[in-house]
Amino acid sequence: MFGKKKKMNTQDQVVLSEQHDSDYVLEVSDLVVHYELENETVEAVNGISLRLKKGETIGLVGETGAGKSSTALAILNMVPDPPGVIKQGTILVNGHDMLHLKREELEKVRGKDISIIFQDPMTSLNPVMTVGDQIAESVMLHEPVNKAEAMERAKEMLELVGIPGERAGEYPHQFSGGMKQRVVIAIALSCNPKCLLADEPTTALDVTIQAQVLDMMNDLKNRLGTSLVMITHDLGVIAAICDTVAVMYAGKIVEYGTLEDIFNHTMHPYTEGLFNSLPRINQKGSKLIPIPGLMPDPTKLPVGCAFEPRCKYATAACREKPVENRQVSDTHTVLCCAYEDPDFMLDRRRKVTDE
Amino acid sequence: MSEPILEVKNLKKYFKTNSGIVHAVDDCTFSIQKGKTLGVVGESGCGKSTTGRCILRLIEPTSGSIRFMGEEITTMNRKQMLGVRKNMQIIFQDPYYSLNPRNTVYQSIAAPILQNKLIPGAKKIQIEERVLELMETVGLAERFINSYPHELDGGRRQRIGIARALAMEPQFIVCDEPVSALDVSIQAQILNLLQELQETRNLTYMFITHDLSVVNYFSDDIVVMYLGQIVEQAPAEKLFDKPLHPYTKALLSAELEPVVGANTKRIQLKGELSSPLDPPDECRFAKRCQYHCAECNCGTPPLIEVEPDHFVACHLVK
Repeated sequence: MFGKKKKMNTQDQVVLSEQHDSDYVLEVSDLVVHYELENETVEAVNGISLRLKKGETIGLVGETGAGKSSTALAILNMVPDPPGVIKQGTILVNGHDMLHLKREELEKVRGKDISIIFQDPMTSLNPVMTVGDQIAESVMLHEPVNKAEAMERAKEMLELVGIPGERAGEYPHQFSGGMKQRVVIAIALSCNPKCLLADEPTTALDVTIQAQVLDMMNDLKNRLGTSLVMITHDLGVIAAICDTVAVMYAGKIVEYGTLEDIFNHTMHPYTEGLFNSLPRINQKGSKLIPIPGLMPDPTKLPVGCAFEPRCKYATAACREKPVENRQVSDTHTVLCCAYEDPDFMLDRRRKVTDE
Repeated sequence: MSEPILEVKNLKKYFKTNSGIVHAVDDCTFSIQKGKTLGVVGESGCGKSTTGRCILRLIEPTSGSIRFMGEEITTMNRKQMLGVRKNMQIIFQDPYYSLNPRNTVYQSIAAPILQNKLIPGAKKIQIEERVLELMETVGLAERFINSYPHELDGGRRQRIGIARALAMEPQFIVCDEPVSALDVSIQAQILNLLQELQETRNLTYMFITHDLSVVNYFSDDIVVMYLGQIVEQAPAEKLFDKPLHPYTKALLSAELEPVVGANTKRIQLKGELSSPLDPPDECRFAKRCQYHCAECNCGTPPLIEVEPDHFVACHLVK
């Protein structure tokens, strides 16, 4: 009796929060994620804010250790605890406050409102279950269907991602890498989530297969109106699929803007550095300009700008005080104190203006 | 024209498995001039790493001839081979797995020097000097000499791999995806280092990669492989300006440029690499090719020179 009453309450709460009315499918504000180890604290994410509208795609770019994946896990409230702690921030997924939901409510939201595709399709599928069963499993968790209906749905999902439905009875090892990633995408999309997190979905794939998977994701996005968070280190992937871009460095968003803002009106020295270190297909012979040094140790982040030791524009001021976010235009923000000098301009921008 | 440092003719490597014979490398012929870089591109499973390993005889080729610095090496015995390998080295893809986790940087770099008795009757101090010299060459700070691989990041680990290869003062290095496990900013550091080493030491590289922009940046000549066979071979500029094989065209168009609006025209390849198990005698790319016609199923297309230095294996390009 008591149990039943409790369940009723839970449902009431879910209904209440669904009434939340907003243009944004995903709203992250001031998120801080730390990993507290025995004798040190890894400051993985240090105050990130993001907003994503329906049908929009945002790209999170950055190198290993920039905090991209920790952000994704935090959005799903899946940060491994211990040692991970979400120190502060709010995360609203379709109006649900992810950080204050009960376990069973969270399970309803994950998969139904938001789901995730992990980087490596080889390890994110269960090797002893057929792919059909794996898709049907998530359908049955979220929708009032029986096994046969769920299996029907699983076959439809496979067709949707370009795999013949009759292969639903096969096991993951019978599929190639690209196919496995499609299966993972089919699982993620099986309950029509409003928002999809994709953590390096094409990094483990060959270029031709990458092109297929990206085209498919683009197509699904247009057809189903899903919002997408694309986590990648590949600026080419970003250019191909994203509307807005957030460049991350040492757990902070250093530059945030539309695709056009980031690629054609680059403001942050780190973003410029990323572009300079990419070999380009039609610019042979020009020497690459790597970013010197390495990302700072996330257990000992400096007070000032974390990029300062690697930045060629750095001044003493960068080291001393925390950097404040600067609004450049309606859509474009940059975290760099060099712009306190109104004449400051990156070399990349200067070149464009000179031409 | 200078003497080719490496000439590979009709190289084949077949693996026998329970379900048939895998044609990993099937009849590959190419050569590399001294001081130049040959880029080998292709998707995973096309046999590019197997080719690299066959050249060092880390795996025994099934048949074919490999001439290195004028000598046939496929018939050499183990002892002769050890001598030749001082001149040919390899840098592996994943610096996380190619180093012994229990050895310090010093031990890892000193190992090839000690093993090959490069400094006869060397005292410990001389070896240490040599290790420090190598570390400086590859840009590793002296303070890492007693570090273990797990304490270093990917870029530094790859530098150890390069130092190990350089310890032998080789003429020729096979670079098997040396930067694909690294972040872009670190990738650029390693690519620049490899290029500097080539300029100062007149090294010859065989650069194996799946990343077309890296291969174009780095190579003089490029070989495109598909399912164990070379489908196109040309100087880098030619290949990128005027790709002739449908597979090369598709690969180039699948490469995503980091430019807004650059990635609109893509040739969609259907399906995936077909099985290298007992492939039939036909064009191996035919099943995925948008220009596929009846002729494609009539025998394997030979690699023919359609323009000077530009070789293509396609029934439709003549």
